[in-house]
Amino acid sequence: VMRLTKPTLFTNIPVTCEERDLPGNLFNQLMKDDPSTVKGAETLMLGEMLTLPQNFGNIFLGETFSSYISVHNDSNQVVKDILVKADLQTSSQRLNLSASSAAVAELKPDCCIDDVIHHEVKEIGTHILVCAVSYTTQTGEKMYFRKFFKFQVLKPLDVKTKFYNAETDEVFLEAQIQNITTSPMFMEKVSLEPSMMYNVAELNTVDTAGESESTFGARTYLQPMDTRQYLYCLKPKQEFAEKAGVIKGVTVIGKLDIVWKTNLGERGRLQTSQLQRMAPGYGDVRLSLETIPDTVNLEEPFDITCKITNCSERTMDLVLEMCNTNSIHWCGVSGRQLGKLHPSSSLHLALTLLSSVQGLQSVSGLRLTDTFLKRTYEYDDIAQVCVVSSEIKQ
Amino acid sequence: SSAKDAKSTSDEDDSRAVVQQKTQEEILFHEETIDLGGDEFESEGNETVSEDSNNFVDKLNEQMMESVIISDSPNNSEDDTGELGCLQEIVDQMEAKDNLKSQTEVDKEEFLSNESETEHEETPKDISEIGTDDQASLKEESIQEAGKEEPKLGNNVPVETKPNNTDEGTPEDQILSPSTTKPSSEAEPIPVCTIFSQANSAGSQPQLFLPDGFEPQMVKSPSFSSIIETPVKSNPQVVQPSPSLSKFFGDTVNTNTLASDFFDSFTTSNFISVSNPNASSSVPEQMSSLSNGGDGSSSNPTFPVQNGRPEAGGPPSSLEITQSPKPFSQIQAVFAGSDDPFATALNMSELDRRNDAWIPSEETRNVLISVATQQYSAVFIDKENLTMPGLKFDNIQGDAVKDLMLRFLGEQAAVKRQVLNANSVEQSFVGLKQLISSKNWRAAVDLCGRLLTAHGQGYKKSGLPASHTTDSLQLWFVRLALLVKLNLFQSAEMEFEPFGNLDQPDLYYEYYPNVYPGRKGSMVPFSMRILHAELPQYLGNPQESLDRLHSMKIICAKILENLEQGLAEDGSMTNITQENRQASVQLWRSRLGRVMYSMANCLLMMKDYVLAVDAYHSVIKYYPQQEPQLLSGIGRIFLQIGDIKTAEKYFQDVEKVTHKLDGLQSQIMVLMNRAFLHLGQNNFAEAHRFFTEILRIDSSNAVANNNAAVCLLYLGKLKDSLRQLEGMVQQDPQHYLHESVLFNLTTMYELESSRSMQKKQALLEAVAIKEGDSFNTQCLKLG
Repeated sequence: VMRLTKPTLFTNIPVTCEERDLPGNLFNQLMKDDPSTVKGAETLMLGEMLTLPQNFGNIFLGETFSSYISVHNDSNQVVKDILVKADLQTSSQRLNLSASSAAVAELKPDCCIDDVIHHEVKEIGTHILVCAVSYTTQTGEKMYFRKFFKFQVLKPLDVKTKFYNAETDEVFLEAQIQNITTSPMFMEKVSLEPSMMYNVAELNTVDTAGESESTFGARTYLQPMDTRQYLYCLKPKQEFAEKAGVIKGVTVIGKLDIVWKTNLGERGRLQTSQLQRMAPGYGDVRLSLETIPDTVNLEEPFDITCKITNCSERTMDLVLEMCNTNSIHWCGVSGRQLGKLHPSSSLHLALTLLSSVQGLQSVSGLRLTDTFLKRTYEYDDIAQVCVVSSEIKQ
Repeated sequence: SSAKDAKSTSDEDDSRAVVQQKTQEEILFHEETIDLGGDEFESEGNETVSEDSNNFVDKLNEQMMESVIISDSPNNSEDDTGELGCLQEIVDQMEAKDNLKSQTEVDKEEFLSNESETEHEETPKDISEIGTDDQASLKEESIQEAGKEEPKLGNNVPVETKPNNTDEGTPEDQILSPSTTKPSSEAEPIPVCTIFSQANSAGSQPQLFLPDGFEPQMVKSPSFSSIIETPVKSNPQVVQPSPSLSKFFGDTVNTNTLASDFFDSFTTSNFISVSNPNASSSVPEQMSSLSNGGDGSSSNPTFPVQNGRPEAGGPPSSLEITQSPKPFSQIQAVFAGSDDPFATALNMSELDRRNDAWIPSEETRNVLISVATQQYSAVFIDKENLTMPGLKFDNIQGDAVKDLMLRFLGEQAAVKRQVLNANSVEQSFVGLKQLISSKNWRAAVDLCGRLLTAHGQGYKKSGLPASHTTDSLQLWFVRLALLVKLNLFQSAEMEFEPFGNLDQPDLYYEYYPNVYPGRKGSMVPFSMRILHAELPQYLGNPQESLDRLHSMKIICAKILENLEQGLAEDGSMTNITQENRQASVQLWRSRLGRVMYSMANCLLMMKDYVLAVDAYHSVIKYYPQQEPQLLSGIGRIFLQIGDIKTAEKYFQDVEKVTHKLDGLQSQIMVLMNRAFLHLGQNNFAEAHRFFTEILRIDSSNAVANNNAAVCLLYLGKLKDSLRQLEGMVQQDPQHYLHESVLFNLTTMYELESSRSMQKKQALLEAVAIKEGDSFNTQCLKLG
């Protein structure tokens, strides 16, 4: 049994000399004659000769374990009814990896039965490859033997995630992926598969002149212990965004799908478990801004649109009060009735205000009172607006 | 705990097994020990590293050696492969055998493997000792006990020693001390002084020294017992003209003579090719005459000297050859005398200036200027600024192939193995070249050592003032280059150390105005600088390599700049004809390209692939003719990383470049790249198709042959794969007995059958016929 990791390329050590040196062109000639050098560019270290794996190496979760199983008749007798069975015993299960379960009728001396098995490793920890061979000797005696090959499956990646909640319903996911193997790793694909409630936009490329360029530049691979940060923006789908109550508490965001390649295209693939996040709580009534100008003129009224959403389980009867601050002056009647608002429903509200002070001003002073429970909700620092003098603006 | 569970379940299963359970347990246990060994190496999984380190045969560098698991218990061929990762089975003991026997076998093997695990570190050293000489090892024992070897030495050796008693004592001292002081695992397998075994044989008193103090070591590995006797037995059958100890040391006088011809022959641009039809026969003769009379001078053959170029200023040198041997100082005196304007003009030829140009550091330049200005008064130079090299170790000579043959094929077969050694060739450059081209690099290293000894830069001469000549530096270069080629990096580093950064004033021609009147520049060959710069990367210090390469790059660029500005290479105002200037620019551009090449290789070794790719790109600028090869190489780098797409892009570029040229080579290159691409896509069948296609065009293509065979294995066709490789090796063993091919072959043998030993030994026999002493025996995995 031999594990078939990908073959490696033979490297040679170039030693050159010049014509005038003592050996003349001897060294160069020796390198030319060496079959492992690249003809025409002998000084190039990386040759073209493939060499078979020399040791078991490491195997990582998500990679494919390939192994050559060869049963060779070392004796000088013909044996019959040979059955080769290869099982993989993990800590939780036992898998049969043999391609065929049919017995081979007979095996002549110095012949062999070959089988190449593949298995995508899905568990971390100890694996034991159990190869069992049963056969009948010429004398009709039934023989049976087994071999055990133990190997450890290691974790290739370390994934850390972080969520940022935007004022809008967007969620930003920052994922740190660290290569904890000992070889460079080419990240072929890192993508976020969102759950059904979200749409995802990857923020890992920069558009320059129509071509999207990876934020990681020309470095397409991860050295051992290197970490990469991936950023994703998740937007709730329209139908779920409408129903404010749905995205609440712990929600499933989706999972990361990672495909990497190492030496000569040895492929590995992993998926994280479902990433979950705690949706921010908005209390009973949520007030969010729909529109607001970024710059306004001093002492000139401007409009904003608010959205008021009932996040509670009961119907509310709301009264809006507007309190002026040092700089912000609300226009319109304070204490107006907004009417009944049912759970998970929302209403839009256009408001007008003006600022008497220049500079960056905070919009504050909205009060909502639920007349059923006599509870008042205060909304300060809803947004900020830049106030400039009208002369300057013109 | 999961492992434990698994084990217990499998134990349960065992009771159902037909084969006796106890045997099973034994084997199970046995495998577990193997696995433990495997676990140790698990941390180092990178294929490329392990590949590299496979080349570092000599355990010089432990960091790099980590992953090489080619360490198995000797004589334990069947189960050792588990450690190699090719989990090989011990099937045969169990089938069709009585259980009792198989169990004892298993027991025995376990015992062996335990033994060999503990003794493993010592094994290589022990073998080398044994392979060389019992006398020496006996001595070593006595040193370990008594601490002084001198009295013993006096008893054993001087029987035949002629005048050079003192000379002989010193090297021996050196030989023995490293083996005693160094921990065995770290010491490179320096066969402890091969000379003495030969000396011993000629001394015709081998039986006297059959070591009794040796016995306890023999227990460690059973294979020893057979070996221990072999040197003794094989002694009378030595076919090569093996000089006695006295001959060898008497040679010092002799080599002096012979060496004298290269003192001078090499002083100028072209070394003299000494072609002597009778050389090979005359040398042994000469030696025997020496041993009889010790009269070195009389038997000197006269070499017809051919000067390759007119300006090769041989006149004084060829005279010198025919003269009787002279100590180095005397020869120098002769040189000093030959200070005539003609020689001056000749010596300072265009070619010399162009090739030897180098820009010294400020400090060094000041010293050189003061030497030039005060030609006749001594210039005081700090000893630290002088280069005082010397051989750091005695013979590494030995022939691992022969040692293995002794072990596995018996002495009868081993006797048949005949390779050239330092004694069997002319003690000159011609002999040296002969050894190098016949791939007897170890012997060539020895010969360099002898020739250097003749230069007064032999063993223990490090730290003593030395005079340098073009030849001595060329010899050093060859010796060090061969050490690197043999992967004896640590030895090379040790001997490189006295040379500092190759910028000491006494390494410049200006330092010897009397010897090299009017000649300027550095004696250090450019290739030696490259070697010096590249060396640290093989010892796990690539950063240092990069530093050295960068400073070389700066100087090369500076020289090119000087040339462009109409100055001479070193920035002086010498007039250079347009033609010569052109040639010089060309030379230095190619040298700069060579430096860039080394940088790229170094970066690749550091696995800084992005920079390495950039560096290879810049190499293309200097060697445009290598563009397709380099682009393919870059493609393979990306393939190695796993970036198949980028690799494909580069391979397409290659196809564009080669599209313009036609010819076999570019066609092969394109096919090769396509095959590699399929390999990267896990499509071994297609890859195999392309490799086979190359073979249709060029049936002798070793790479394609080997790679096609590898693909076959991955396709589950072990027998076909073996057939292809075997066919290839048989077809042209001269070419295909390559390390990597043999490595693949032995790996497949191990996979094929637990009786791979015979087949491996057959390979060894094939190797023995074709390969020189520089053959890397590790690839045979004979243990």
